[in-house]
Amino acid sequence: MDQSAAAADERAQAAFARYVLPEIEVLYRVALSITAQPADAEDLVQDTLLRAYRAVERFDGTHARAWLLTILRNTEINRHRRRRPDLLDDPDAQLERHEGRGPFSAPAPGPEELVVEQVFDKVVDEALAALPVKHRQVVQLVDIDGLTYAEAATLLEVPEGTVMSRLHRARKRIRDRLAAAGLAPTRSGR
Amino acid sequence: MSAMSDRARRMREMRECMHVGPKLQAYLDGEVDDATVERVAAHLEYCRKCGLELAAYRAIKHALGQRQQPADDALARLRSFGEQLAATGPEPPADA
Ligand SMILES: [Zn+2]
Repeated sequence: MDQSAAAADERAQAAFARYVLPEIEVLYRVALSITAQPADAEDLVQDTLLRAYRAVERFDGTHARAWLLTILRNTEINRHRRRRPDLLDDPDAQLERHEGRGPFSAPAPGPEELVVEQVFDKVVDEALAALPVKHRQVVQLVDIDGLTYAEAATLLEVPEGTVMSRLHRARKRIRDRLAAAGLAPTRSGR
Repeated sequence: MSAMSDRARRMREMRECMHVGPKLQAYLDGEVDDATVERVAAHLEYCRKCGLELAAYRAIKHALGQRQQPADDALARLRSFGEQLAATGPEPPADA
């Protein structure tokens, strides 16, 4: 390997460490939200990392997460082009992830509060599962995976306003379910 | 006079409510500009209705946030895969 190639590799490796490594967890969470199986999510992120490595020298250093989400999206579309050309819109790709809630480490609630909290969480879970796919997906990306509206819009290739209206409508549905269960104030409109 | 100004104040507050209400979720998400943050915060100081609304959405967002996938083996494998890329690139060192 000649010296300039070695220097290019070093630059790529440094840029990769700087821009890509900190985003691996978010990429994996997003991958879990848009693939059917955890194993698919892992493969998807691995492919995304390889592609990102090859492209990182051309990356201008701004909005690393959005850049990576675009790569992830394109990788996913390529991976499934033959079978499922529009996986990101496919209801089968949606997850029902009821498992895996981490331990809640806020101040220890009393038994009654604990019951209310469990009922609250259960109603939220059910309401989330009952949402139309595209609405549930936006809730997952923003509230569970931690993306901004702009990042979710990049991933889904829809305008930011669409992310916002889907998300707000979805949360309103969840709120309405909670209200019906007596766990949130009743309110008409909005 | 005080009846008039009371009514005027209530009208103003109602208009504020209609303006602020639809922005509560974006406010909660930190997706509004500074001017809107101030306007919403000022409204929340006296409007109980919007306060309850925001509290409900905050509780929902919090409950959803707890569903986040915990770190697991796959994430650890992806991290070490990434670290290996950062250290040696996609192929093992040539003279290995
Ligand atoms: Zn109000």
